[in-house]
Parts: sequence; C-alpha cells; structure tokens
Amino acid sequence: MKAVQFVACIVLLVFSGVLVRADIAKPKTTPQENKSLYTSMEVIPDAKATDARLQIRQSTLNDLRAALNGEPGNAVLASTITRSGTRTIIAGLLMFLSVSFGGVWLVRAFRSGQGLRRTEKIAAIALIAVATFGAAAIITRGNAGPPPTYRWRNLPTALAGGQSTYGPVILEIVPDDPNSSIGMKLTIPLKKQKPNGEDE
Amino acid sequence: MQEAVELNLTTLVVNKPVEQGKRVFVAALFVCAITSAALAGLLPLQVSIVTVFLFAGPHNWFELRYFITRLPVRFGRSRAFFMTAFIGVASLTVAYISLPFLYRTTGWSYEASLTAIALWNTLLLAWLTTLVFLRSKQKPRSDGTWVMPIAFALCAFNWLAPDLFGLMLVYVHPLIALWFLDRHLQRNRPHWVRAYRRSLLLVPLSVGLLVWQLWSTDSLAEDNGLFWRITQHSGAELLPQVSSHLLVSVHLFLEMLHYFVWLLALPLLGPFLIGRKARQNLLARFWELDSLPIARHPRGFPKTVAAMLLVGLAVVLLLWVGFSIDYATTRDVYFTVAIAHVIAEAPFLMKMLQVQ
Repeated sequence: MKAVQFVACIVLLVFSGVLVRADIAKPKTTPQENKSLYTSMEVIPDAKATDARLQIRQSTLNDLRAALNGEPGNAVLASTITRSGTRTIIAGLLMFLSVSFGGVWLVRAFRSGQGLRRTEKIAAIALIAVATFGAAAIITRGNAGPPPTYRWRNLPTALAGGQSTYGPVILEIVPDDPNSSIGMKLTIPLKKQKPNGEDE
Repeated sequence: MQEAVELNLTTLVVNKPVEQGKRVFVAALFVCAITSAALAGLLPLQVSIVTVFLFAGPHNWFELRYFITRLPVRFGRSRAFFMTAFIGVASLTVAYISLPFLYRTTGWSYEASLTAIALWNTLLLAWLTTLVFLRSKQKPRSDGTWVMPIAFALCAFNWLAPDLFGLMLVYVHPLIALWFLDRHLQRNRPHWVRAYRRSLLLVPLSVGLLVWQLWSTDSLAEDNGLFWRITQHSGAELLPQVSSHLLVSVHLFLEMLHYFVWLLALPLLGPFLIGRKARQNLLARFWELDSLPIARHPRGFPKTVAAMLLVGLAVVLLLWVGFSIDYATTRDVYFTVAIAHVIAEAPFLMKMLQVQ
C-alpha cells in the first residue's frame, strides 16, 4: 500500500512538474536571418518560348555565392555602370570633356600670371567635391535595390500587352520547406488599384 | 554729394537698431534650426504633412514677390540673359511636367525612363551653363569658362545615375535659400554677414546630429500611400541601406530652413532704402508695392505686378483647399509643378552673384 502511495505521489509530482513547465513561456528562438542579395530582374513575356526560363548573370551568381559564404559582394560600381552601355558611353565622353576643359582652364589661369582667382578656386574645389560626391553616390547606388512597389505596378498591364517590366528584386535563400516541393517562389509587390488608378 | 549725405544719415539712423536686430536675427536662426531639427527627428512624417500644408504655397508666393523685386524695369544689356532665363524656366517646367504623362501613356521601359530623366537633367545643366556665360559677358574682364568642366562633370554623373542626380537636386534646393539670404544680407545688412555665416555651422552640425541619432533606426512605416510618397520623395527607394526615418528627417529639416528663409528672413529684412529714401519701418512690409522697383518706377508696371501677386494669392488659397480635400494628390501635383520655382531660383541667384 505504501509502495502504491509512493508511486502515486511520484506520478503526481511528475505531472505537476509537467503542468508547471507548461505555464513557462517557450524560450524565444532567435530566427536565423535569411541570406539575401539586392539585384534587379526583368520579366519578359515571350509567345515563342516553350519553357519558363530563369537566367542569372555570372556576376550575380558570384555575389550570391559570396552572400552565402558570408563574404562581402562586389556588385557595386561595375554592375551599376554596365547596366546601360549607352549611358556609360555618354557619361565617359562627358567626363573626358570635363577633364579636358578643366585642364585647359587651369593652364590658361596659370599662364595669365594671376594664378587662380577666388571664383576659380571655388570652382576647382567644387569640381573635386562633385567628383568625390559622384564617386560616393555611384558606390552607394551600387549597393541599392530593395523592391520598390512602383517599378512593378504596371506589371499586369505590361504582361497583358506582351511588354517587359524591369525592377529591383531581392534574391533570398530560404530554408527548405518539407511541406512544399516548389523550388523557387517569386513575390511581386503589387497593390490592388482603385478604378481611378489610386493604390488601395 | 547730396545722395552721399543721405546715405550717411541713413547709416547713422539705422546703425543702433541694426546691431540690436543682428542679435535677434542670430537668435532666431538658432531657435529655428534647433526646433526644426528636433521636430524633424521626432515626428518626421507628421511634421512633413503639416509643414507642406501650411508653408508650401505661401513660400512660393514670397519667392515670386522676391523675384519681382529683383526684376529691372528695362532689361537693357541683360535682355539676352533674362530671355534665356524665362524661356528656360517655361520649357524645362513643361518638359518636366510632361515626363510622368509620357511615362504612363507610352509604357516606357525603366531604362528608357532613366534616359528621359538624364536628358532633362542635361538640358537643365546646359541652360545653367548658358546663363553663367551670358552673365559673365556682362562683366568686364570676367571669364565664365570655369563652369565648363563642372557642367560636364555633373552631366557625366547625371548619365551614370540620373535618379540620384534628381535626388541631389531635392536635397540641394533647400540650401539655395541660405545662399540667397547670404547675398541679400551682403546688400542690405553687410554687418550681419559674418555672424550669419558663422551661424550656418548649425546646419551641418544639426544634420550630423540627425545622422548620428537616426542612422540605425528602423525605416518609417509606409502603410499608406501618403507615407510612401513622403519617403520616396526623400530617396528611400534610391538609398535603401539608409533608414527612411533619417532621410525624411534630414530632408524635412532642410525644407523647414528653406521655408524659414523665404517666409520670414527675406521678407522681413528688406532694404533700408526705398529708391533714395530711407525706409520708415525697418521691418519690410510685404504688402507694400513701393518696395518693388518694377512697380514703383514711373515707367513700371504696377497693375501687372499687383495682378500677378493677386493671382499668386489665389493659387495659394486653391492649394490649401486642394490639400484639405485630397492631400496626397495635391502634394503630388504641387511637387511636380513646383519645379518651376526650383529652376527660377537659378537666374535670380546668378544676378545677385558677382561674376569675376
């Protein structure tokens, strides 16, 4: 009898312990941050295509690898400049003209025997500041890119009209989901529009 | 001789109040800068909405009035300069306003829209360069060639990142008002210039403080269209690695200083002389048309000027009504049309600068 009472007490104690533990808040697990990379994407509807195709540039893949390995990516200056060949060529020509005119102006200023006047000094400082600011801005721009909804807002219309749409996208590596067999998922930030064109 | 005596007398009469006024002016600058920075840092979205509602329209009206003040009765040798300025302001404004319409109707790609923005920015820079050349021609022994390398460098930057160039204009434009005030003080309160320039150190200090405090803050919620518009206007889309709280706060701080200059400093600190007579009241009265040379002159246009100012007043009232009915849409319309006043500041500032 005593043994039964002892066992009953032990069982009660264990259950009470379980009940007490049940009231304790579950320890907070810090969610592991998904690896992500800012880049851009173009969605092209193609009537002749037989398969949906996802094309990734080698440099983007390299950056993705770097992000996965926890290394800093290098998709800064180069990717921004090579985004548009035409604009890069124009910018290069203009920079060439800037340096040429700047050189001629400096030579003329010194040949006149007066050296640089106050306005010219300010202009020289401004030129250096603009160059520095421009370089800094380009580097900053190179790191840019979360998905602004605005770029994607015309996607349905463009798809219906067979036109391409270009916008920023985040490449994100997510943990495996045992309940889903889908390999990739694309989320487009589309807001429903009112009849007057306003976003809801 | 008589004029010199009059000027000396004026200087003697106004000297004491001017010194007292300098202290008040510097104190007002301090209070304004600190209050603006505090409000912009603490409640960026709310204060932005209220500030634009209250001051956007009136500050444009005061700018219009100030520009009219600076207009000569006859253009004379400045005819080419002013014609280029007016044609440029009109055509660039029309082109800027038509860009969003073209974007919507033609279905441009992102790249094409960037090219269109880059083209507009290039035209703006070309126009500014032309104005500098025309201005330098008016001054003997002046050489405007220094502007060429700067203009080309800016153009190059613009073609690399047109949207960033536009964002740069958004942040630089409020600072132009401080430059206007500097030139204005040099003409009308030369003894104040030193104190003013020293107090300008508050601007980078305040911006530095905002950056320090808000750098690691969370971005602002964009849970409605209006908040989204405000953050986009400050460059949240272009600079995603920077907290939108910081961007909106810095932009709002600069905008508030801009409004302070146009609504208080410039209208109140009018010239001591009206024509050749000393002003009776040291604080300028903005409703007095006799302080406008183009209206006061016997060959001037007082009725046209009065009509322009009245129309401007009606637009301000209309803007307030618009903000009350549909704030977000009116804000969009305002910031698109307001490019006209941004562009118009350039020729008037150039006229106030001494080109060497």
